[in-house]
Amino acid sequence: MKSVEQTREGKVSILEVRDVRKYYGGIHALDGLSMDIKKGEVHCVLGPNGAGKSTFFKTLIGTERPTSGRIIYNGADITRLPAFRRVGLGLSVKFQNLRLFGDLTVGQNLFIALRRTHRVADIAEQTEVLLSRIHLLGAENRLMRQLSHGEQQRVAIAMSLATQPQLILLDEPTAGLSVEETRLVADIIANVNRHGVTVVVIEHDMDFIRSLNGHVSVLHYGRLFAQGSFDEIAANDDVRRIYLGAA
Amino acid sequence: MGGERSLACGRGIGLNGPQTLGNSAFFWVVWAIGLALMIALPLLASRYQIINASNILISSILAMSLCLIWGYGGILSLGQASFYCIGGYAYGIAGINLIQSSGNTELAILAGIIVPVGFAAVLGAMMFYSRLQGVYVAILTLVVSLLLGLFMRQTADPFYAIGKAAFGGMNGLKPAGAGDPGVPPLTFRFAEYSWVFDGRGIGFYWLTLAIVVLVYLGLRWLVNSSFGYKLIACREDLDRTETMGYDIRLIQLTVFCLSAAIAGLSGALYTAWGAYIHPDGFSVAPNILVVIWVVVGGRKDLTSVVISTMLLSWIALELAPYGEVSLLIQGLILVVAMLIAPDGIVAQFGAFIGRMIARKPRIAPNSWKEKIA
Ligand SMILES: Nc1ncnc2c1ncn2[C@@H]1O[C@H](COP(=O)(O)OP(=O)(O)OP(=O)(O)O)[C@@H](O)[C@H]1O
Ligand SMILES: [Mg+2]
Repeated sequence: MKSVEQTREGKVSILEVRDVRKYYGGIHALDGLSMDIKKGEVHCVLGPNGAGKSTFFKTLIGTERPTSGRIIYNGADITRLPAFRRVGLGLSVKFQNLRLFGDLTVGQNLFIALRRTHRVADIAEQTEVLLSRIHLLGAENRLMRQLSHGEQQRVAIAMSLATQPQLILLDEPTAGLSVEETRLVADIIANVNRHGVTVVVIEHDMDFIRSLNGHVSVLHYGRLFAQGSFDEIAANDDVRRIYLGAA
Repeated sequence: MGGERSLACGRGIGLNGPQTLGNSAFFWVVWAIGLALMIALPLLASRYQIINASNILISSILAMSLCLIWGYGGILSLGQASFYCIGGYAYGIAGINLIQSSGNTELAILAGIIVPVGFAAVLGAMMFYSRLQGVYVAILTLVVSLLLGLFMRQTADPFYAIGKAAFGGMNGLKPAGAGDPGVPPLTFRFAEYSWVFDGRGIGFYWLTLAIVVLVYLGLRWLVNSSFGYKLIACREDLDRTETMGYDIRLIQLTVFCLSAAIAGLSGALYTAWGAYIHPDGFSVAPNILVVIWVVVGGRKDLTSVVISTMLLSWIALELAPYGEVSLLIQGLILVVAMLIAPDGIVAQFGAFIGRMIARKPRIAPNSWKEKIA
């Protein structure tokens, strides 16, 4: 795992986050966060509850504007770009609270996700492909809100893959999943990553993070607290302390 | 609505799809019978009733415009009647000025559509590109409507005129000079032929009915198309829709303009119907009335909205002679309707019928395929 960290230095950054702040009144959700995401890596973000992880993702995708700071994607400043343009450039997100269209069927949810980048004629086939990846073949006609939480989580992940992203942001993709489902998600992440897609994952599950075998950043009070390989982070006493202290 | 289940799950095909109630052969048969009855209405009803029926049809076009933007697009516009009035004035002004020189009202109808779209484009661009949402859009559209009404009410002075058309303040649009024509009826000319559809005539009723059918079918196709899906996605969750790469500002602006076009068309028809347009339509009551038609029917379904608009307008007409009591009874109907069927009385009734038919024991669902094979 040392080798991952050593080669990381020389790689190009797909995303550079520079001194980003996000204030909600007196709450400093992000308080001068700087971070580099390298092209083609799996990058895990962890941190205690309220550390600002979800807020970080929202400023990256553009549903929240940072109070100050800069976000650079593939060398271009995207800080002021509306969300849909960022998605057009190859970003994609799965929100922590899923945000699916509950009154529509699984197929219709995927139709909306696929339609921008696919012709209508190709969507049925793409839907099959996505559903088989999340082991939900045949669920097309089921109403979204009638799915179990684990199934919804998987569809939400499929929808974030549907837009053909270069950089995918997954906010707690294994929350509420069984052991097998978690393994499935790890496989999906490894698979898209193998095809060159950069994946950033917010997670609490240490076994899952270890299985992803990527770079790890720890957020605390809206700042980068520590970073390194999984083993370095797992052995870091300060990281243990903030987790035990704040959780 | 027997095939409802299977269709509701898949994607829409043409006029049918999950965004509309009633997609089965049974529905379309009932629909065709209803339409046939309405075509035959002049044989059964008095001239006075036909004149009123024409106005009810015009109202249902206005209701469909709100159903599109609110029921499907999730944007509550409380100024829908103002687009109707703008369309009405535009038709009247263009008609008065052009009828003698051109001998037809094609351009006047076009003005009745394009002028409200222009208003909507400016207002919508300001609202949606500054990402105004929800109650702010509702308030702004209502305030703009009230301001337009205030302005139009004080235009009694002859100064406020465009060519041969004087705005006329509270009294409504009128010819500017003694020799100028009044608001013309719908007049179409082709070569040496010309057709005039007077608002009190049966021809006008049929023409309006044809327009209602065209707008209805056009909107059914639209809401079941890809654009319809984007609209519904916006209604359900704007941010999520944007993070799938859709320019929600453009989608909202487009539907706002389209709905203004439809409202404007119905306003133009209204002016042609009564040969008259006045500023009362800009006030609170007409704007709210459209919302009521749509809510009582079920805002998420076109057919329900058309049916409820026709029924409610008809009830209002029947009750009109009773004055104040009529308002009270209408209010009561609303409250009861909203209490027993918050998703719309017609829509819930339609869904109920659909379920009853679906529950009926049927022959194996693919038996018809075997027959063909
Ligand atoms: N819209 C908002 N308005 C006000 N405060 C907010 C808002 N969103 C987030 N916060 C606050 O910002 C801080 C960071 O929230 P955030 O959701 O980013 O944390 P998180 O690291 O994702 O936590 P968790 O692990 O619980 O998901 C919290 O204190 C939260 O209460
Ligand atoms: Mg979070």
